[in-house]
Amino acid sequence: MDSTILLILLQDGAVNGAIYALLALSLVLVFAVTRVIYVAQGEFVAYGALTYAALDGGQLPGSVWLLCGLGVAAFIAGLWQGRGQTDAGLLLRLGLETVLLPGAVALLAIWLAPLKPGMLVEVALTLAIVTPMSPLLYRIAFQPLADAPVLVLLIAAVALHLALTGLGLVFFGPEGFRAPAFSEAILTVGPLTIPGQALWIGGLTLALMVALFGFFGRTLTGKALRATAVNRLGARLVGIPTERAGLIAFALAGFIGALSGVLIVPLTTVYYDSGFMIGLRGFTAAIIGGLGSYPGAVLAAVLVGVAESFSSFWASAFKEVIVFTAIIPVLLWRSLRHGSTEEEE
Amino acid sequence: MIPSRFVSLWPLPALLAALLVPWLPGMPAFWVTLANYTGISAIVAIGLVVLTGIGGMTSFGQATILGLGAYTTAVLSKYYDVSPWLGLPAGLVVTAAGAALLGAITVRLSGHYLALGTIAWSVGLYYTFANLDLLGRNDGIPGIPPLSILDVKLLDGRASFSVIWIGVILAALATNNLLDSRAGRAIRALRGGSVAAASFGVDTPRARLLAFVYAALLAGSAGWLYAHMQRSVNPTPFGFYPSIQYLLMTVIGGAAHVPGALLGAILVTTVNDRLQDILPRLFGARGNYETIVFGMLLIAVLQWAPNGLWPLIARVRPRRRPIRPDAARLPLRTMPPAGSALLEVSGLRRSFGGLVAVNDVDFGLAAGEIVGLIGPNGAGKSTTFNLVTGVDTPNAGRVRFQGRDITGLPARGIAEAGIARTFQHVKLVPTMSVIENVAIGAHLRGHASAIAGLLRLDRAEDARLYAEAARQLVRVGLAEAADRPATALPLGQQRIVEIARALCLDPVLLLLDEPAAGLRHHEKAELAALLRRLRAEGVSILLVEHDMEFVMGLVDRLVVMDFGTKLAEGPAEQVRQDPRVIEAYLGSVA
Amino acid sequence: MLRIRAAAAAIALGLVGPALADTIHVGITISTTGPAASLGVPQRNTIALLPKEIAGQAVEYTVLDDGADSTRAVANMRKLLEEGKADIILGTSTTPASLAMINVAAEAKVAMVSMSASASIIAPMDAAKRWVFKVPQNDSLMADAIAAHMAAAGVKSVGFIGFNDAYGDGWWKEFSRAAGEKNIAIVANERFARPDTSVTGQVLKLVAAKPDAVLIAGSGTPAALPQKTLHERGYAGKYYQTHGVANNDFLRVGGKDVEGTILPAGPILVAAQLPDSNPIKAKALEYVALYDAANGAGSVSTFGGHAYDAATLFAAAVPAALKQGKPGSAEFRAGLRDGMEAQKNLVMTHGIATMSAEDHNGFDTRARVMVTIQNGAWKLLP
Repeated sequence: MDSTILLILLQDGAVNGAIYALLALSLVLVFAVTRVIYVAQGEFVAYGALTYAALDGGQLPGSVWLLCGLGVAAFIAGLWQGRGQTDAGLLLRLGLETVLLPGAVALLAIWLAPLKPGMLVEVALTLAIVTPMSPLLYRIAFQPLADAPVLVLLIAAVALHLALTGLGLVFFGPEGFRAPAFSEAILTVGPLTIPGQALWIGGLTLALMVALFGFFGRTLTGKALRATAVNRLGARLVGIPTERAGLIAFALAGFIGALSGVLIVPLTTVYYDSGFMIGLRGFTAAIIGGLGSYPGAVLAAVLVGVAESFSSFWASAFKEVIVFTAIIPVLLWRSLRHGSTEEEE
Repeated sequence: MIPSRFVSLWPLPALLAALLVPWLPGMPAFWVTLANYTGISAIVAIGLVVLTGIGGMTSFGQATILGLGAYTTAVLSKYYDVSPWLGLPAGLVVTAAGAALLGAITVRLSGHYLALGTIAWSVGLYYTFANLDLLGRNDGIPGIPPLSILDVKLLDGRASFSVIWIGVILAALATNNLLDSRAGRAIRALRGGSVAAASFGVDTPRARLLAFVYAALLAGSAGWLYAHMQRSVNPTPFGFYPSIQYLLMTVIGGAAHVPGALLGAILVTTVNDRLQDILPRLFGARGNYETIVFGMLLIAVLQWAPNGLWPLIARVRPRRRPIRPDAARLPLRTMPPAGSALLEVSGLRRSFGGLVAVNDVDFGLAAGEIVGLIGPNGAGKSTTFNLVTGVDTPNAGRVRFQGRDITGLPARGIAEAGIARTFQHVKLVPTMSVIENVAIGAHLRGHASAIAGLLRLDRAEDARLYAEAARQLVRVGLAEAADRPATALPLGQQRIVEIARALCLDPVLLLLDEPAAGLRHHEKAELAALLRRLRAEGVSILLVEHDMEFVMGLVDRLVVMDFGTKLAEGPAEQVRQDPRVIEAYLGSVA
Repeated sequence: MLRIRAAAAAIALGLVGPALADTIHVGITISTTGPAASLGVPQRNTIALLPKEIAGQAVEYTVLDDGADSTRAVANMRKLLEEGKADIILGTSTTPASLAMINVAAEAKVAMVSMSASASIIAPMDAAKRWVFKVPQNDSLMADAIAAHMAAAGVKSVGFIGFNDAYGDGWWKEFSRAAGEKNIAIVANERFARPDTSVTGQVLKLVAAKPDAVLIAGSGTPAALPQKTLHERGYAGKYYQTHGVANNDFLRVGGKDVEGTILPAGPILVAAQLPDSNPIKAKALEYVALYDAANGAGSVSTFGGHAYDAATLFAAAVPAALKQGKPGSAEFRAGLRDGMEAQKNLVMTHGIATMSAEDHNGFDTRARVMVTIQNGAWKLLP
């Protein structure tokens, strides 16, 4: 292997790793706040990518209908969960967040989609369609399970993943899609040719990490989320509503997922079920990073990306075998370092 | 005497009659087929009850292990003309070897590392299956011969039904036996936390490995049934999604209950099948809605019954245990003569980073004494306690027990040396009755292996362990609570259950970690009375306590700590007058 | 009493459908979800277009999804046989699952018509495979065509990249044989997975081996990724694909990067360009018109054609089978098998089949054409 190949593989691994890192970040966030291992996170990547691709083709993406459906379902679920509750303000807020907001986005999409409004609007519209689904799903699926054991939450997340993959097939069909890149520019550095899209991915990943850092460090909402992550009961006692924290965490995860999808669909073909494998990589990185450490998760994500890239060069038929076998010693090392901690229920 | 208990629990005759159900006239053939698939899944799910529901290890690789069993019998019977019946023992050997290897790594992982670890090796094995020429690569091995009895091939679904459901019944019985044995209690004890289990001498990695290998053996035998019923194997049924399917069957049914696994398998298989029929009628044949509806149903069920459906259907409570008081007593330790030096702690030191939590502490305890280790919050009492009990390792210093150096021994070694302990935050296993919890304390005094437990060869010894547990309950005055669920008792009684459990070890020394914390006044008084009685019976006690008043009238001597160092040591009254102690306490109170 | 109750329960649960006398029950299991959904979905859409009456008999189709999982494929098959009283089974879309179904078909003495690629499903012929037919071209037939085209084009060395599944495996086996026969050296053998987001590692290795041509063995849109990456890395040799990519989605996703690609395909792909003298043309255009009318213009794919061909093969056997017995009887089912085996020069959308006791695919070289991609459309090569 010469140095050119080495550099190209590193570049390839880093670009993939950046996407895994984004997912790992949101998985860590969601887990810390709600104890949910958000298996369905990957679906947001696929939904984001496919919604963007559909808008790019001047078509109304099926995810718009899903958004409306989820809104209505969340509204009903909200009424049911809050039955006996007569606070008009809360009801109004519920209606606003579950029915009016998704409805408005849907109308906007119906109006704009056939006009082919250009990349920037299409990206914004994609994010507006896909992001709200995540907090709506939180309301429907996870809020009633807030006190359940981690295993049950995990299984619920798996169930959600199954349902969302099925819906993805219904709305987007079995074939893959691609969309145009943000930038067709190609940067040549020595032997490397770096597509503009890769720079976008790297740049946005970094920007998002900085933004998250600022959000958690400086804003009140961010601090509240951190407090919930550290101690749910305590946070509740000092008046930080955990439901709100969960909604925000899920919204962030949805946003990051959709953005990741928009970012990768110009570089690779995305299918209705692409999200799972990408999500699994993000999950792997999040866990290796310790499910609590943001920089750890990012580092691990890039490592996973690079490991994948190299193993597909060395022995492509055994790529998964190599990557996943390599994970095991890392897990052992991580476990032994955290050795005697009692498993949390 | 034949243990009649499991016959009443598992009405065998009725079950055997059930094996004939498929032969009833008018029985739709496809029901039998469905029941066969259900049975195979149920065997895997029963294994997951032990591994995940009870052992607390979430496995995403169970279908892959099933693949080990299936491929073994497939290769042997198809390519080497080995009788399909011999495929079972061969498959079990391969599965056991594979599981021992995978398990040796897996059980050392904790929490989510473990779950990801199972994904990792199962993905690795899946692609290994798919790339091995011996296993037919992705196309797999078609045309596997069916099971046969006296040259009659068991092709008919009804014949398979008998074989599969005998397998299910055996798996349920064996699991029931295992969980009710010494080895099984060790697995169940993991639920109370591995520190607690280890401090009664349970080899926790070994108990976890046992759960792992046992679950794998069930999956492996299900794989054998699968291969000969399906008559072909290839990698697709051994991947991630089928593993998930087994896991969710277990969780839906009620992860900690063997009948729950059965229920889950029946429900998931039936619902999946029904959806195939119902949904096209509702929505037309233009799309596939099965997974969507299945996912939504699953979430709804979890919201309705987060602990699974079985506990909703059957009122699950620990079974009653008839005690045989005539059972021979377990051998007892020779206790050291009163007044001889028992515990000698010298120069004990533990620092975390720059913070010295325990700073060159010395103290001692003689046989027959009650010594209190007290101090305000953050004084280093708990750290000292952890160093003595083997939960943590000191940076410097020695702990000697009965003249033997026990410094740095793991918790299990400390228990073997004859030191039993209780916990500040009560660590009882919620799903077990009081007496079952107490019997865990006698773990080191029994020797029956897991296999003896599976085959019920351990009954005589088990009766002795339970007789001992009953005796200790009588000793602490909780005999009438024996069959109640442990966590149904008030906190004060739960602490006393912990003491009974510790006494079951036949300890030379009893270590109590803040026994009075959270107790009401009268509970404290009862506890103090019990401890005095135990001292009178010759038990030596070291207790770590925060509550000055509680220890005052109780202990023979006091050791006072503050900021990691020993402040004073001596008879209670004398220490109480010590100005430094007063200052430390008043200072901290103020 | 128990019997009555069981029967009542069965009816209540909808387990027992009304058993219409003389209705022919066709059971279908295909992969409409999961990794092979791009094959299964057009197949399912095709089933909806099939005639509801053949030779004066009502025909009822029951479609189940197996998600390309062989356990579900076999369970579906048993369900179709035991509950749906199927007289014939069509399916399934993937090779491993089809292989798993063979024994069940033979034991039930019901014929099955597979819609997957590998010749191993029907060959070598044995007692069980007597009951199994297969409508897609054998991968060996297609591999020979590619090797022949390569040899004629002066290709001396080839890099191979295929799916890391049964499809890629099958192609590797057949193509390495065919290439050997034509003295073409295979200088690289790489694998990738359908949902992979990057194949840079594999492509670097292919490029480094400097082959005259690259063969990509994947199905549907995923097969475009290696080709696009090869383009990015400046690979300038010839590109070959397999008939697995023959649908319009591949053209959409591949865009300008797949221009000039050469592949073998069933004639249906370029039906309109076939000479009128080719009997396949009319049959294929009939199917294309039917499918596009129901699912939108340009939506047809060659995979759906396999389902149509399976139905054509089955329908051709019905008249003879009816002479053997009534639908639902063992005689009728055996008659269907015999009838299919007796077909000579049966025109289908993918070729013209002449079955025999030894050959249950029956296609010859008329079942493949060489096609290239020109201006974003399929173009028949002479």
